[in-house]
Amino acid sequence: MDFSESDKNLWKAIYNTKDLLHCFNCSTCLSGCPASHGNPPLLVRNLARMVVYGLEDDLLDDDTAWACVSCSRCEEMCPMDVKPFEMILSIRKWQSANDETRVPPSIVEIYKRGYTQSVGTNTELRESLGLPELPTITKMPEMLKLYQEMLMKTPVVSENDYMFSEE
Amino acid sequence: MAEKKPTGTILVAGAGVSGIKAAIELAEIGYKVLLTDASPQIGGILAKLDNQFPTDHCGMCRMLPMVGREYASQYCMRKGLYHENIEILPFTQVKSVEGDAGNFTIELLQKARYIDTDKCNGLGECISVCPVEVADEFNHSLTQRKAVYKPVPHSTPQMLLVDMDACTRCGACVDVCPTNVINLDAQDESSTRKVHAVILASGVKLYNLREFEDAKSWAVSKDVVSSLAFERIISGTGTFDGSIKRPSDGKTAKRLAWIQCMGSRNKRQNRDYCSSICCMFALKEAVLAKEKGGDDVETTIFYMDMRTFGKDFYRYYERAVEIGVKFVRCRVQGVMLKPDTTLSMRYFDSQTEAFIEADYDMVVLATGQIPYETHKGLADLLHIKVNGQGLLPTQTYDKVKLTKPGVFVCGSLMGLTDLSEAMSSGIAAAGQASRLLSDLDVTIIEEEEIPEPRSQDRQTPLVSVVLCKCSDKVEKSSVDFAALEGGLKKLNSVGEVNIIDMVCSDEGKETVLELLKKSDCNRLIIGACHPFIYRNALKNLAKKAGFAASLFEIIDLSSIVHKGFFEPKKDEGVKDQTREAYNELFAIIENLKLKPALHVQTLPINQTALVVGAGIAGMHASFSLAQRGVDVHLIERSDKLGGYAGRHVNHTIDDLEPVSMAKDLMIKILEHKNITLHKNCEVTATQGSLGAFETKIKDNENQENIYLQHGAAIIATGGVEGKTAEYEYGNSDFVLTQAQLKTGLDTGQIDVSEAENIVMIQCVGSREKQDGEKQSREYCSRICCIGAIANALTLRQKNPEARIFILYRDMMTYGFAEQYYTQAREEGIIFVSYTLDTKPRVELSEGKPVLTFLEPVLNSEIEIPADFLILSTGVDAETSNRDIGNAFSLPVNEDGFFVEADSKWRPVEFMKVGLYVAGTAHSPMTLKDAILQAEAAAQKTYAYLSGRKIHTAHAISRVHDAICVRCQRCVDICPYGARSHDEVLDRIIVDGPTCQACGMCGVACQNNAAEIMGFSDKQIMAVIDAKMSKNTMGFAAQ
Amino acid sequence: MELCLFLGCNTPAIRPDVERAIRASMPELGVDLVDVEGYVCCPAFGAFPSTDDDSYLASSGWNLSIAEAKGLDIMVQCGSCYSSLRMGRDHLSHDEAKLARVNELLELTGRKLECKTKVRHVSEILYNEVGAEKISQTIKKKLTGLHGVVQYPCHTLFPSEIVGFEESPRQPKALRILTEALGATVDTYSRELQCCGGAGGFSKSTPKEATAFVKSKLDAIIEETQADFIVVSCITCLMYLDNIQKKLNEAEGTDKYHIPVFDYNQLLALCMGFDPKQVASICTVPRNSVIDRL
Repeated sequence: MDFSESDKNLWKAIYNTKDLLHCFNCSTCLSGCPASHGNPPLLVRNLARMVVYGLEDDLLDDDTAWACVSCSRCEEMCPMDVKPFEMILSIRKWQSANDETRVPPSIVEIYKRGYTQSVGTNTELRESLGLPELPTITKMPEMLKLYQEMLMKTPVVSENDYMFSEE
Repeated sequence: MAEKKPTGTILVAGAGVSGIKAAIELAEIGYKVLLTDASPQIGGILAKLDNQFPTDHCGMCRMLPMVGREYASQYCMRKGLYHENIEILPFTQVKSVEGDAGNFTIELLQKARYIDTDKCNGLGECISVCPVEVADEFNHSLTQRKAVYKPVPHSTPQMLLVDMDACTRCGACVDVCPTNVINLDAQDESSTRKVHAVILASGVKLYNLREFEDAKSWAVSKDVVSSLAFERIISGTGTFDGSIKRPSDGKTAKRLAWIQCMGSRNKRQNRDYCSSICCMFALKEAVLAKEKGGDDVETTIFYMDMRTFGKDFYRYYERAVEIGVKFVRCRVQGVMLKPDTTLSMRYFDSQTEAFIEADYDMVVLATGQIPYETHKGLADLLHIKVNGQGLLPTQTYDKVKLTKPGVFVCGSLMGLTDLSEAMSSGIAAAGQASRLLSDLDVTIIEEEEIPEPRSQDRQTPLVSVVLCKCSDKVEKSSVDFAALEGGLKKLNSVGEVNIIDMVCSDEGKETVLELLKKSDCNRLIIGACHPFIYRNALKNLAKKAGFAASLFEIIDLSSIVHKGFFEPKKDEGVKDQTREAYNELFAIIENLKLKPALHVQTLPINQTALVVGAGIAGMHASFSLAQRGVDVHLIERSDKLGGYAGRHVNHTIDDLEPVSMAKDLMIKILEHKNITLHKNCEVTATQGSLGAFETKIKDNENQENIYLQHGAAIIATGGVEGKTAEYEYGNSDFVLTQAQLKTGLDTGQIDVSEAENIVMIQCVGSREKQDGEKQSREYCSRICCIGAIANALTLRQKNPEARIFILYRDMMTYGFAEQYYTQAREEGIIFVSYTLDTKPRVELSEGKPVLTFLEPVLNSEIEIPADFLILSTGVDAETSNRDIGNAFSLPVNEDGFFVEADSKWRPVEFMKVGLYVAGTAHSPMTLKDAILQAEAAAQKTYAYLSGRKIHTAHAISRVHDAICVRCQRCVDICPYGARSHDEVLDRIIVDGPTCQACGMCGVACQNNAAEIMGFSDKQIMAVIDAKMSKNTMGFAAQ
Repeated sequence: MELCLFLGCNTPAIRPDVERAIRASMPELGVDLVDVEGYVCCPAFGAFPSTDDDSYLASSGWNLSIAEAKGLDIMVQCGSCYSSLRMGRDHLSHDEAKLARVNELLELTGRKLECKTKVRHVSEILYNEVGAEKISQTIKKKLTGLHGVVQYPCHTLFPSEIVGFEESPRQPKALRILTEALGATVDTYSRELQCCGGAGGFSKSTPKEATAFVKSKLDAIIEETQADFIVVSCITCLMYLDNIQKKLNEAEGTDKYHIPVFDYNQLLALCMGFDPKQVASICTVPRNSVIDRL
């Protein structure tokens, strides 16, 4: 591994907290992690190490952070309170910010209709179950517009605004 | 024969091993001790431990006095402690402490036991009828006990009590009690006592699996136990007669796992410290499990760092590896109970980079010490405030001395201590208390005259027999007293038989004394129940009546008949019981008849101490002794005082300032009238024994020999920074040792402001097997990890941008030092572990080191050009140790450090009585630990030098020169090192104070030339003859 | 008590029978659910929480402010929604700068957030506010004789200081006690605390391994218990554990996996006598074996 290419301050860009630095590689995060069963496995400890070392290229290429099931077992069990789930989210944020292909398409859906999927359109089924019509934001264009305006002020939306434009 | 002796009373609160040690030390000098414990028993955690590292045996008795052993009743320490100067108050809480040093008033609350233990015969009739069963805390709830119970199953006498929380007050025990000593209405009793000083030794709380949330992932089965519970499982007196079985179903356990750091090294749970003891605890248990359970037992230890930092710890670890203990560097989240009751754990195996789900029969959790819990309460008791860490505030350099005068602390209460530190601190606390009392001049003149024993020479042996009929017990006894008396009187060697009531009472003793004063007999037997409790009172009584101590036997009547002497009379068996008692007494009389009159050796004591080495430990010990009026010769090889730390270490990570501290100490040393300093001097030879050593020293400046007389000596030679030729050391200006870096940073000669990468390598030339030519330190130097962190933090301050790597094998930041490790990571210092198989490699490129090492987490090689490479080369023993060892005939281990008498129980003593060790001469240690040992060594020395003479025991071994062939088998076998071969005289010499009369020499000697006085073959044969004589006492044979 | 119902997306869109069960059962126990207008995605961890704090917390703040305007706490059933909202709220209530930034963003929309509204999980409401005793007194039918196993939603356990309500997150018991209150016997098994594996990218990015992971759990249930049903309290657990069984059977050519899966509120509503067609009709593994025995 060539260390001269690594960025020693990368951790500050990704997960700028002492929590991360407290990690002593004990592997507690690994043993109960559901996504560690994956192939390739999610190895939280290794991600922490890559962040600390500042292995920018390797980290940018690593998909495993996205396999996390967000169960947060690692947060509960981590003896050093590294808050590994927070770190995983931070790695994803950094990847999204540095590689537009990493930006999850689901945010476009949320931008367009408030949700990742169509909610409240299954009126017939709902009626058969005796359920009321849902006052979802999808059906309230003015309110949705306000939400979109707000999102437009956030980095991920403003920097990738082409993804959100009306076709 | 009046003599000035120290006196005073000291409260020792807490009767675990450190408290007991402090109490014994004080009692030995002559102080009175109140030894309390909040629990119903004494012995603390150690009462539960059968086996201690590194011997894997119990060695608790080794903390008993060596020379004054006849003043204490010497029993197995796990059974109990008896010393005439120690008043033991179990089940007693200290409710208040008022007043000042030298004048404390303490209020004690003795909890009701509901059983008068003085009168209880301990046979436990009550236990067999008690209908209540509750979990037995002694066996960690692995077994059940009754509401009336023996808190420690092996203690003597059996200190029974009633657990009132469990008791249903059914009264069955009261009805059945043959001695009528149960009172279910008993009340707690308060008392007020005056003491001069207080030693707190209330120990530590252990992490409790039931109490803490983070243990819940493990609490899935009875087969997940704490390490202390596992001790009870493998104990011969424990739950399964010592075989390794599962608590859940009693099936043999073959696959065992240990989980380290349970309840420690956990910042999330606010426990960012290392419990210090658990790694060795687990290692020992894993080794024992292999040894006891057989070769097919699989043992795995899950760990983060194996903290084998103490003396000989690393070699023990190597032994564990050799016998097949498996080590997995992974912290595991929890355990899963499978339907077939096996315990399954999933872990990441870094070597194969694969997850493994492994099954175990039992899982042992290394539950650590929890240091803070009781400190607040104790501080309130003393009307002081806890320090920032929540601990009792101690003096900066003295771990055992609280900021409040007159109050001392020892054992685990100080923090996270192991057994040897518990011992050192117990001795040191006793020493500090004795220094205080010496300052306060609390002394009295002992004036009692003891008559010379009546002459025995050429007199026919005539035995006086005194039997206690113990109140009305004799009426009920199954032994026919009248018949017994008649039978004994018929013996020619018996002059008289006196049946006395209640020998234990003052009146009883008075009656016996009057009777004995008139007696014509020259030998004496006193038989009573549980006489070991007041053995010394009876001894003194015999002495006053003029009986020689060696011609006097105290026997326990309640145990000479195997069913119990005072077993209530039944219709059957009176004759058998009486005959049995008679035969026992007859055998004792036959032995006593042949016993020679033994005399104690009275050794004059030269009240001067010799201290070798004027480092901080040596200076501290010297000053401690001088302050108590002992003259000290302090020998220093160089022309400077202070040793390594006192001259080179300005500041330590825990805010100590060794150099300025050493300067203060130097001034005190130079000014003190009792201290004679010999600079530029070396010890070349010594001879003599306790009280009378003569040591030859060579003055290198004046080229002359000086002869010094002294009563005892402390070796405090210190150590030096280790040397190395590894990692291009010596070939580049940028490859330095930690000491060179520290000096360079202190003086400003090393500029790190432009550095980009600084790499440190730990364990350079350390913790590796010594292999033929290859010289290595096969031990952990203990201070390097903390030292490297300290230097790294300094570097970080000087250069916030540099990358600082510490390449380590196991971070030895034990105890509270763990917080420095955490702090260092927080400051961005990167720690990378390596193993002996993956040592870092260094090449020089344009004079600068380039490091290549395996990153174990990412499993890839990293190459770093380093601006500086700093090597932690460990601590080497002083080269002069071997010469000094030769001069004093003291053993030096293969690493060049001195070998103490026992690594756990006698850490500052040598086998040879009168010689002590302190500081790095013993092994590498921190400054505070060195000071602690110095204080302890000074105390051990003071114990003998405080008087003008000491007495050896009556029974010691001797040599019949005429038949001795000088084969020296006895010298080799003597476990105390009391025997030596004098080459000049060509004789075997026995060091009287050191000999403990164990008899090993007698067994080893093929010519009967080694004899334990008072244990001749003739006597033993007489005893056997008597026991086989089948004397019918006039009863018809049945 | 009154609570703002937060449904998320999966429940109303894919499993509205669960929504029906919640709406039917909670008022019977004195918990009135209020519908409000304008919720957006919680947001899902894979969405804004994986892109930047602004978009994440602005969305959390948006949702929270809607309930806050009503002066009510939020009740959630979906584990991910619950966890995302709790964590978002935790950031906002502990970090003034973040709250200020979110208010800056919300201001554009005419909203404001003080972080007064609490986020609560339906199982917590049932356990702490209603209580097992009241439940067993209220129900008309019992699951007597039926054995169940529980699937604890990880998102309601960890990290305990943010999302937890169990006395011991490592040994949770709320869902067990609630299920026992319905008269069922709850069996334990080795992998009880194992995550279902259904959330996040795991099951999508490495479906083979994720299937093996959940299979180990289902096998343990089949081998070690007499379970007639699995009870969950999270829409992801429900859908994943239900749907995966069919896939497993297809892959292995068996019909070994046929344990009906219920959301707790579905069982509750059934025990209260609500129509199974309305409150428990959408499933992959048929539920007749349980429903018929009521």
